[in-house]
Amino acid sequence: MEELNIAPSKIEIEALKNVVINIGGIEEEEEEWETMGPTPMPGIADLRNWDYKLLERYKPFYAPYCEMCCFCTFGKCDLTGGKKGACGLGMAAQQARFVTIACLIGCSAHTAHGRHLLRKVLKIVGDREINMGTGINIEAPLTRLITGIKPEKLSDFIPVLEYLEEQIAQLLDSTHTGQEGSNLDYESKAYHAGMLDSLGKEVADLIQIVAFDLPKGDPDAPLVEIGMGCVDESKPVILVIGHNVVPSVAVMDYMSDHGLDERIEVAGICCTAIDTTRYSQKAKIVGSIGRQLRFVRSGVADVIMVDEQCIRADILEQAKRIHAPLIATNDKALYGLVDRTNDSVDDIVAILTSGKEPGVVILDPVKAGEVAVRVVQITHEKRKELVNILTDEEFKEYVTMCQNCDANCIVACPQGLPIGEANKAAAKGDTAPLASLFDPCVGCGRCEQVCKKHIPIVDVILKASLPYVKSEKGMIRVGRGPVLDTEIRKVGAPLVLGTIPGIIAIVGCGNYPNGTKDVYRIAKEFAERKYIVVLTGCGAMDAALYRDKDGKTLYEKYPGDFDGGCVLNIGSCVSNAHIHGAAIKVAAIYARRNIRGNYAEIADYILNRVGACGVAWGAMSQKAASIASGVNRIGIPVVIGPHGWKYRRAYLGRKYVDEDWVVYDARDGSKVQIEPAPEHMLVAADTYQEAIPLIARLCFRPTDNSMGRQVKLTHYMDLSMKYLGVYPDDWHIFVRGEADLPLARKEEYLRILKEEHGWGIDLEAKKILSGPVRKMDVGFDATNLEELIKKNE
Amino acid sequence: MTKKEDVKTTRHTGKTIDTTRHATPFDTGNIPGPKTARAVMPAVSGKILARAQRPLLIVGSQIHDKEILERVVTIGRRGIQIAAAGNAYKSLTDQKELDVHQVNMHALAAYLCDPSWHGLDKKGNYDLVAFFGITYYYASQIIATLKNFSKIKVISIDKYYHPNANISFGNLKNDIFTAALDEVIAQLPKVKKNF
Repeated sequence: MEELNIAPSKIEIEALKNVVINIGGIEEEEEEWETMGPTPMPGIADLRNWDYKLLERYKPFYAPYCEMCCFCTFGKCDLTGGKKGACGLGMAAQQARFVTIACLIGCSAHTAHGRHLLRKVLKIVGDREINMGTGINIEAPLTRLITGIKPEKLSDFIPVLEYLEEQIAQLLDSTHTGQEGSNLDYESKAYHAGMLDSLGKEVADLIQIVAFDLPKGDPDAPLVEIGMGCVDESKPVILVIGHNVVPSVAVMDYMSDHGLDERIEVAGICCTAIDTTRYSQKAKIVGSIGRQLRFVRSGVADVIMVDEQCIRADILEQAKRIHAPLIATNDKALYGLVDRTNDSVDDIVAILTSGKEPGVVILDPVKAGEVAVRVVQITHEKRKELVNILTDEEFKEYVTMCQNCDANCIVACPQGLPIGEANKAAAKGDTAPLASLFDPCVGCGRCEQVCKKHIPIVDVILKASLPYVKSEKGMIRVGRGPVLDTEIRKVGAPLVLGTIPGIIAIVGCGNYPNGTKDVYRIAKEFAERKYIVVLTGCGAMDAALYRDKDGKTLYEKYPGDFDGGCVLNIGSCVSNAHIHGAAIKVAAIYARRNIRGNYAEIADYILNRVGACGVAWGAMSQKAASIASGVNRIGIPVVIGPHGWKYRRAYLGRKYVDEDWVVYDARDGSKVQIEPAPEHMLVAADTYQEAIPLIARLCFRPTDNSMGRQVKLTHYMDLSMKYLGVYPDDWHIFVRGEADLPLARKEEYLRILKEEHGWGIDLEAKKILSGPVRKMDVGFDATNLEELIKKNE
Repeated sequence: MTKKEDVKTTRHTGKTIDTTRHATPFDTGNIPGPKTARAVMPAVSGKILARAQRPLLIVGSQIHDKEILERVVTIGRRGIQIAAAGNAYKSLTDQKELDVHQVNMHALAAYLCDPSWHGLDKKGNYDLVAFFGITYYYASQIIATLKNFSKIKVISIDKYYHPNANISFGNLKNDIFTAALDEVIAQLPKVKKNF
């Protein structure tokens, strides 16, 4: 089509007759709100230089979970012993390829979630303006950073989603047979997927915040009940499971419009639960993914409504077992059910309440909401006589049947729990060992499938732990959403200087090595030590289940501000984009760095200055893989629990290799030997006792001032002594001078430096004469990027 | 093949100490590939450990039980350096005569794969790693790394069958496990050896 150039002039429209004018689109001139950086909407290779900087220091480290490749018909290929597959790919690259695919799955889940939300909310609420309130000017830090777009209304996310979808397709293509051959370049691609994931999460959460008026960074967001014991079984109960809140919002709206708020319980599992309570505090949270099977089996739910992600694939079978109708509301999880989207509500209600069909698909969320509310009132009455918990007689019969053969259930259990021994004790009348399995059990049900006696082991454990289950009632502050710009102004300096010793970001799933209490312990320890503790997703929920001696949960005891000694529930999985956002805002607001399309510089800033550490203690899903990769690319290390090794790849520093720890001083381009700070990018710990000092260690940054380093060293050494019974063997390498030493133990530490590490120490003058890697320099402007050296400007 | 003369019995219960039985992955899906550990009797493990030039014993968060801890200490007293992963160190703090180092096992595995690493005692890398008392799946993954990315020989003297090791015991009951550890210890030098 030829382009029509019309010079600015007066056009007489009246003169035009019988002319049809089609305008394809109007390009508005964008306000020049910030100078565009070098990498707006980066492609696969655009941030490769930054990735390689990270990968040179934090070497990818592989723990093959499977030593073969079965992706194509050349295979299966045996990759052990240095062998390559038929396509030429070796073990390291195959592991990296697998991680890239996992990150892409996770990234796709968040991005597709955002796309789905946008489509639905544009229909339901229209194209709303993005107004995050007076405390937030940087409304979408990741969107600005990665795409260079400053979104002003919901539809401004359309080009952001188009960018994401294109990049995901390009990355997925790279994993095809006969594409990438380098493990390092696959790692760069995994980082890219992780970064895209962070952007997809921000888009998704901002859409739902704006569309449904969820809290916009409210430190005093209300408290709601959480736990398997908080649901009132005397009322009809709708159980919502998943991560996409739109149908649950429709449920709450329909109830509200029809005066049913107090007559029906809406309880949720996983992030849909968190997001529903952000919308309406009438809803309750059952808990995280680990509670899913157990709560469903308890039979409390009269209707189960699912949306997307982290739903049991056999949810239909489980729903049938308790005679609760299932409503599937998202085309990503349809379970073979009939699509009734276009049927009348009356017809669908009749189908579900008569039991003609065990469940239906309803892809119109508003209709699904109405159906759920109408159906639950009927099914509740019908289900009143049903008993889903085992009777005492059934329980006794089952535990007595168990031969404690140990051959199958323990081996099938991901945690290796001693089920047989516990059954044996229960058969003799002691149910305590069985009840003690409730929390460490991840609720997968693999044990039942292999039991030779067909004992419903999940039900048996549930029965034994019923008193605990009924009393499981915590309190959680509803997801507050982003960190306010005003909060960043307050904490920016102490964070960068280190006097607020760190941001501890507890995120992710519920695949814990030893139950939910570990995340409570970790959060409590760091809150008491005045770190900023932020939580999202399953971690945020599980930390809310426990109370201190005064009966207070973490969210009741600690304020919800973004400040030292506070505990914040940021929100659901997609909300953890706001944790990236907070770090980016430190660079933008405190350091006045331009963030627009300027990813590498901001990541470099965060790596060297912002003492933050992610903790994904129960990381399980592919989303957790992409979340961690995204956090890592922006310069924040992550500690994972022992199951996290199964992701196959970590990023580990070698503190004993000096050349790995050299950075530039941006003032003059000189090279500076630094301490290993942070030492690793992605590392697993075995127990919470090991994790806690490790997390404290990963909060060190090269730019800590002496006061900040003192604070961080104090915690690192205290925590190591408290949990491991020993001072860490590497604490001395973080000491740059006597001013870095904690005052209370300065003499003791100087003596250790002299006697155990051979440093030159003047004990009388309390001075360090020789030994440190470098001296403290208040003006040190650490960077890993040559282009940021000022003399080059 | 287990030789008849190698088979011993537990001291108190008289059960046969055959550590080659039940040699299937303790975590049922943990089938890594075509190459899996050979199940051996404890004397074999003990002899290999005793012959190593630079052995390292890695223990983890499952050693706090008195019976197990005693055996960790005994092996350490025979001169084998110990890497205490997880929170194992907490139970070893009073054992001043042992050469024990608190480690993060993930980082340790990476270091072990680096031939230029100077070791926990600055005397160089190791030629053999033995381990037990570590969370099963956690241990399994570390040795998957050593199996595929190092030349270090890995022997599992754990209660569970570890397919990624060079040699391993099968899945054992507690009494057989402690008896097997005693058989391993019996092969070590009676006096402290400087490895």
